[in-house]
Amino acid sequence: MAKHHVSATLNGNDVEFLCETQQTLLEVLRDELHHTGTKEGCGTGDCGACSVTLDGRLVCSCLVLGVEARGKSIQTIEGMAEGTSLHPLQRKFLEHAALQCGVCTPGILIAARSLLERNPDPSEEEVRFWLAGNLCRCTGYNKIIEAVLDAAREMRGG
Amino acid sequence: MDTKVIKPEAEGRGDRTLKIVGTSPVRPDGVPKVTGLARYGADYALPGMLWGAILRSPHAHARIRSIDSSKASALPGVKAVITSADFPEQKYEFVGPERVAINFWHMTRNVMAREKVLYEGHALAAVAATSKIIAEAALRLIEVDYEVLPHVIDVDEAMQPGAPLLFEDMITRGIDPPPNEASNIAKRIEFSIGDLDAGFAAADEIVEMNFKTAPVHQGYIEPHACLARFDNKGQGEIWAASQGHFVVRAFTARLLDMNIGDVLVHPAEIGGGFGGKTVIYVEPLAAALSRKSGHPVKIMMSREDVFKATGPTSGASMTVRIGVKRDGKLVAADGVFKFQAGAFPGSPVMNATMCGFAPYNIPNVRSVGYDVVCNRPKSAAYRAPGSPISAYAVESVMDAVAAKIGMDPLQFRLVNACRTGTPTVWGPKHAHDGCAETLKALLAHPAYAAPLGRNQGRGVASGFWFNNGGESSATVHVNEDGTVVVATGSMDIGGSRASMAIMAAETLGIEYEDVRAIVADTASIGYTHVTGGSRVTYATGIAVVEACRKVITELCARAAMIWSVEKDQVSWEDGSARRAGAGKHEPLSLKAIAAKRALTGGPIGAEASVNAGGAAPGFASELCDVEVDTETGSVKILRFVVAQDVGRAIHRSYVEGQMEGGAVQGIGWALNEAYVYDDAGHLLNAGFLDYRIPVASDLPMIETVLVEVPNPNHPFGAKGAGEVNIVPVMAAVANAINNAIGRRMTELPMSPPKVLAAIHTAPGK
Amino acid sequence: MGGAPVRVVLISSHSGHYTGGVKEFEIEARTLLDVIRVLDRRYPGLGEHLEEETSVAIDGEIHEVAYFHPVHPGSEIYFIPKIEGG
Repeated sequence: MAKHHVSATLNGNDVEFLCETQQTLLEVLRDELHHTGTKEGCGTGDCGACSVTLDGRLVCSCLVLGVEARGKSIQTIEGMAEGTSLHPLQRKFLEHAALQCGVCTPGILIAARSLLERNPDPSEEEVRFWLAGNLCRCTGYNKIIEAVLDAAREMRGG
Repeated sequence: MDTKVIKPEAEGRGDRTLKIVGTSPVRPDGVPKVTGLARYGADYALPGMLWGAILRSPHAHARIRSIDSSKASALPGVKAVITSADFPEQKYEFVGPERVAINFWHMTRNVMAREKVLYEGHALAAVAATSKIIAEAALRLIEVDYEVLPHVIDVDEAMQPGAPLLFEDMITRGIDPPPNEASNIAKRIEFSIGDLDAGFAAADEIVEMNFKTAPVHQGYIEPHACLARFDNKGQGEIWAASQGHFVVRAFTARLLDMNIGDVLVHPAEIGGGFGGKTVIYVEPLAAALSRKSGHPVKIMMSREDVFKATGPTSGASMTVRIGVKRDGKLVAADGVFKFQAGAFPGSPVMNATMCGFAPYNIPNVRSVGYDVVCNRPKSAAYRAPGSPISAYAVESVMDAVAAKIGMDPLQFRLVNACRTGTPTVWGPKHAHDGCAETLKALLAHPAYAAPLGRNQGRGVASGFWFNNGGESSATVHVNEDGTVVVATGSMDIGGSRASMAIMAAETLGIEYEDVRAIVADTASIGYTHVTGGSRVTYATGIAVVEACRKVITELCARAAMIWSVEKDQVSWEDGSARRAGAGKHEPLSLKAIAAKRALTGGPIGAEASVNAGGAAPGFASELCDVEVDTETGSVKILRFVVAQDVGRAIHRSYVEGQMEGGAVQGIGWALNEAYVYDDAGHLLNAGFLDYRIPVASDLPMIETVLVEVPNPNHPFGAKGAGEVNIVPVMAAVANAINNAIGRRMTELPMSPPKVLAAIHTAPGK
Repeated sequence: MGGAPVRVVLISSHSGHYTGGVKEFEIEARTLLDVIRVLDRRYPGLGEHLEEETSVAIDGEIHEVAYFHPVHPGSEIYFIPKIEGG
């Protein structure tokens, strides 16, 4: 069977790719577009390591088919920094030692950015519930929560 | 969050000169990890690369009558199919020199089943094809004729006479004379000191309880993955995420009958391991497929594969009896610890028998362990392997004993806490303090005196872990501009590049930012053992400091040449060479000497390789407050405090992170995590939805107290900090639940149905 | 060599196979290599077993078995099973 031809934007750039019907967006990003910053932790939408946004909506890219991205805007971790300037969340994650192994970090950063776009002043509890779909096995979450709250504070200009 | 640092008054090592040790600079490998550019095991690709896929057993126990892969081989796009026939047979023997005795006869069978499949998910064939989709399709074309056999999952059932045998001729080791009959008991271990019967006879009170724990998975977020490129000249390369690329090299070479030097392993970034990536699964399969096909081959496990086919830690069945005098002095302790090894021998039961009673001074102790095979995936190391399991039993009984004699549970532990000179059950005396200091830290913590509400309870527990030393290598090279590269053979699993850079900068007297720390591949640095056993900051740290000291000696020699003085006239201080007693010479900085390296003899660098002994053990004491929902049985963690002796924190934030992460893994072990099997031996919850590890909304901020009793055997006093934090957790949670509802929870996990059932039964003793 | 001998104890259960069950020894030695050589001369094969399959505690400090470790008069040396790390 012929592959599907899909056009979309990836981190603001036009992209085109060919994919099989059953290929997930995660597989397309990693295997076809060579954007390996988005990670596979489970393939079943339970761990959040593959979090990206699709037209601004936070999704697990392992639960989206590649063809579903047609005409849509995909944002991944590779597009989070502006040139060499890190996003405040990225900077705060480093300052707070909010990553140990770092494999959950891209997904958590994307999810956290999505939270702060909706709620620039979240409480600790709101951060904990928003990130409840992003598993981290290393940190116990303390420093992740602290980094998100600190980044929010900075982004609000406080 | 709330972090305290406690330094005992009688500190042996002054830290007045330390400038960088104990701070929390940003890790050298940080930016690629927040921008998605860091490359983990699954992130490598090569031109012409094939995708590997693995056929796994649908049965818990079956004899393999035949495997017919002809249809799979014929599928267009399939380039190679392998089975156990592609791996040489290994001799049946337990061998060193790794710390754990390894039996390659077992290892090759775990990687690829031979005569039998021994658990659901056991690999028995693998395919390499031009796409994932073709590889998966080829697996469905492989025809396997199984003779399904009876299976056994539970450890107590596996020990019964007449239980289905995984190995029909396995005779228990460690029993003299050896038993006549084969069984599933691979090994019996016993340690004892004193006179157990006399000890219990002298006791005023005795408490005995039975416990069961569930096997739990390390739960690293990155599934096992690797890329292999092997050629028909017998050489190859592997890119893999592991806790030790030298071990990947040694094991893979052995299973493929290659020379170690013909295999080059590149350290990919590792997405968590916690012990589970100290062994190999996919690497020899990718290598064999690559050798057979002539193409690079990549294999990624699915999460389901990870649950069904990689090591959890053991589940256990345990009995612990403790005798005490009315004044609180322990007089006798007896423990029997039966551990599921999974499908092949090698549970961490020995550690369990050694660690369980180690925090305490008990004159009469017996500790017995059984290593038992059953039809589950082979267990693998998990954070202080074995110790948290026996600690759950011992520390629960300790709590019950304290209650029985009416003593405060922390004071009771403090009265009996081990110190330098206290005998251990395995023979030698303790050589380090630390236990009492963690207990005192917890006693002084405001959390211990905070009021509790209705259905709330508080529990405490302590734990011991050996911490490891061993073989490590490091190189230190001075660059042309005076910056420094530190390379080690230790995989960086949680920020160790930062600690290595800190120790190098501190030793050399230069800025942290001027040191770049990397992990070198197996061809570029000397043998280094796994990142595990809390050994890296200790052993690899010693290698880094030794290499820096050699570099300092060389820098002083170069300065002596520049000044035309004898070498012994030059000393190193604050990052510069200084001439003794002479004011007329300005100090020569490292940068200044680096600029004259060619004039004085060429590049400046050194390597140091060590076999570091004297890694002091770690102790932790922990406090947990819970609230029990008496309608649902659900337990909420309200507060959790970890007081751990870390010797000296090198990178403070990453030490806190270890303590926070270890506590949360223990909370998952205590409350949620378990493998659920059906009657046919199929794992029913092989995914993160149903095998539920803690999520952010389950937890409060974990509070940490860094107790620093320096280890005189390390240049900066460091002790391993990664593991002991998980040891007391399950007991602390169980004791807190008991405090809240008056019921001893003797089976893990303490999930809502079990807690609810306990609430509805009459209170025990 | 002079001075008090060192006290050597074998804890690993397999060690007893080489010594007919004897577990404690007093040996004149300056290094761990001396200890292993003396024991291996007395019980052929024991040396390799100790080198490959045990760790050692010298006055309580646990090390991998390595020849260079110094021992002192009155030292307590326990050959213990290798510790399995995580």
